[in-house]
Amino acid sequence: MGSLKPVDEATTQEGFLATRVDELINWGRKNSLWPMPLGLSCCGIELMAMIGPKFDLARFGAEAARFSPRQCDLMVVAGTLTWKMAEAARVIYDQMPDPKWVIAMGVCSSSGGMYDSYSVVQGVDMILPVDVYVPGCPPRPDAVIDAIIKLQRKIEREQPLKARLSGANLDHGIGSKAFVRAPNHSVPTRGSHAVLPPGELAP
Amino acid sequence: MSAPSANALDRVQSGLAALNPKSIAARDGMPAFEIEAEQVREACRLLRDACGFETNTFVTAIDHFPAEPRFELFWQFLSVQHNDRVRLSARVTGAHPHVASIGDLYPGTQYSERECYDMFGVVFDGHTSHAGGLKRLLMPEGYDHFPLRKDFPHQGIEPDKLYNAWFQRRFERHEREHADV
Amino acid sequence: MPTFEYAPGLLPPRAKPSGGGADGDDPLHGELLELNMGPQHPATHGVLRILVELDGETIARIEPEVGYLHRGKEKTCESLGWRKFFVHTDRLDYVQPLMNNVGYALALEKLGGVTVPERGQIIRVLLCELSRIGSHLIYLATTGIDLGAVTMFFFCFKQRETLYDLLDAYTGHRMNNTYVRIGGVYADVDERVQDAIEQWIAQFPAAVDEFEKMLTGNRIWYDRNHGIGAITKEQALAWSLNGPNLRGSGCDFDLRKAQPYSGYERYDFEVAVGTGGDCYDRYLVSIEEMRQSARIVQQCLKLLKETKGGEFLAEDRRYVLPPKDLVRSSMEELIHQFKIVTDMALPKGSAYHGIESSKGELGFFVASDGTSTPLRCHIRAPGLMNVQAIPMVAMGRLFSDMVSLIGSLDFVMGEVDR
Repeated sequence: MGSLKPVDEATTQEGFLATRVDELINWGRKNSLWPMPLGLSCCGIELMAMIGPKFDLARFGAEAARFSPRQCDLMVVAGTLTWKMAEAARVIYDQMPDPKWVIAMGVCSSSGGMYDSYSVVQGVDMILPVDVYVPGCPPRPDAVIDAIIKLQRKIEREQPLKARLSGANLDHGIGSKAFVRAPNHSVPTRGSHAVLPPGELAP
Repeated sequence: MSAPSANALDRVQSGLAALNPKSIAARDGMPAFEIEAEQVREACRLLRDACGFETNTFVTAIDHFPAEPRFELFWQFLSVQHNDRVRLSARVTGAHPHVASIGDLYPGTQYSERECYDMFGVVFDGHTSHAGGLKRLLMPEGYDHFPLRKDFPHQGIEPDKLYNAWFQRRFERHEREHADV
Repeated sequence: MPTFEYAPGLLPPRAKPSGGGADGDDPLHGELLELNMGPQHPATHGVLRILVELDGETIARIEPEVGYLHRGKEKTCESLGWRKFFVHTDRLDYVQPLMNNVGYALALEKLGGVTVPERGQIIRVLLCELSRIGSHLIYLATTGIDLGAVTMFFFCFKQRETLYDLLDAYTGHRMNNTYVRIGGVYADVDERVQDAIEQWIAQFPAAVDEFEKMLTGNRIWYDRNHGIGAITKEQALAWSLNGPNLRGSGCDFDLRKAQPYSGYERYDFEVAVGTGGDCYDRYLVSIEEMRQSARIVQQCLKLLKETKGGEFLAEDRRYVLPPKDLVRSSMEELIHQFKIVTDMALPKGSAYHGIESSKGELGFFVASDGTSTPLRCHIRAPGLMNVQAIPMVAMGRLFSDMVSLIGSLDFVMGEVDR
């Protein structure tokens, strides 16, 4: 990608080349999601059922679940995230190579759910940016498959080439500052424990 | 459960006669005794050696805040050979709650004692385990509070404190390491 | 451990010298390596973290670190009240939600002095045994994956999916059903569901035979389980192990037989007992328990037919909600409902009830001060005791044995951490 000639702004926005390449990249990305099942609690069992014989996630190109974050681009946070586990979850998220997406499966990871208690993170969006939220306790596997389809729609609308050509530092390796990313600040969070202000963390 | 319990009551009463335990009528019909906190070790040793209770079922506490003595500790044992149970209880004060550990008599109590310390702050003197000394079991090391005490709010006090401190340290370290980038 | 960052030297001082693990020709013998496993690791069955120090291939020191799923359930019970805590018991051992419901309900009934009608007890036993089958299926599936028998995952989940469908048809949700109430169960079994369960349970023993055909005589499975992680009966008792882990060691103790609850004394079943106490014995015990559970389920279905139309929920207006149509027409029942929902108090005192869950003795120790706010609800989790036993068994063994050991001790972190 780095060897491409710089293209002026007008061309990248409406140009034939950029649109087509974007489409190709998005098509490849959305149909070969490699999920990283962060099975924390009950939802992890339904996640297993989703990969299992009846629901068969392979139909949507996302069955290649790997337990190493280095090989994955979709993190499925399945279950209750506690503050003790949050550090590990954040490390795992940072270890995933870009581009990466996150599905918050179940109410616990979406909002803390029924656990309004001293040890539970009130929604994983406090520590990670989340793309799709799935309600349910636990959500049925059909609901999670729906979330994956929704995520594929979202990936379709992305413009990877434009982002690359606009000069943003997308080199999210360990060597770049960008690997510590600010969480999703568009999502309202409760209480004082929203993480550090975005200015301090943004690349 | 009622038939074996009567047998257990006699057995424990004769076994622990030297300690003069106070028999309690528990609602579930289980033989229950209240003893002095200093006698716990001796009582548990007698239960194991003289009364045939091989297994500890749990060690836990109840916080009677603001009453004093504040903590009521419970040890429940199961005898597989006699097929019955017994429950011991003892009260300790809230100022410096401590009681002797029985981790060497019943190795199965090591995690229960650690959990009890983690949740209530009750110190088990002489606790030894493969994990070293008495330390927290469920909450992270460095946590400031004892969550199951009655004066601790359900929503917690600064639940994200440890995480934020860790994140800040990590971020600063990263900044330091990549200052030239 | 203050932070998640892994730093060498986190392990406590060495408890005893290593030895007895790898053969003398281990080229790495004498080379110490500290290893961090988890909390996110496929072989730890949840968010368990294990710190290991390896001497070559042998485990020299090992320490499990739990609490990564500690959700504060016991505190939650104190703030929610007795009735609303039922939904939280589901999420304790989330592969067998209905069994947890039953255990909690039995403890509250003991404290409150409620008698469950016969049909209610039969339905509870039915749900318990279906849960036990489901839990053992998960054990087989996950341990199978860990030891390389990936097909077991598909075989077991095929059965489990049907079980999910049956529970879905009966209770309205695949898992976390919350179907048991104080005094009985929420609703009666539908006859069509009964027939479906009957059909499924009729083919189930053949499915267990199929599992056995795949594993029991399988050379790899045998070698990786036989003689691994042996626990003697005395050790198991001293380390508070119950359930299949105790019975695998040759101790014939099953709470369903020894201290029967919910009318278990009327069912005809055998208690599976092992001899050596190793992983292979625990596997055989689990397999046999599935067969026996299937037998109990068949007897339950027969009894359900005999007691058709009977009461399944006690009429105890201190704790049991009145039927909805009566609430709409009768002032008295409306008051009952209001009282139960807003401040249901249990009598002053404490009670303990332990049930034979699929992993050991699942007990609830409940204490009330006579008000509607629970004083204490302690959950005696069998899984915590199973995790506690890991160092005792794994110390001095080969590192690769730990995978089968963790699988066969069988714990679920939701219950371990609560």
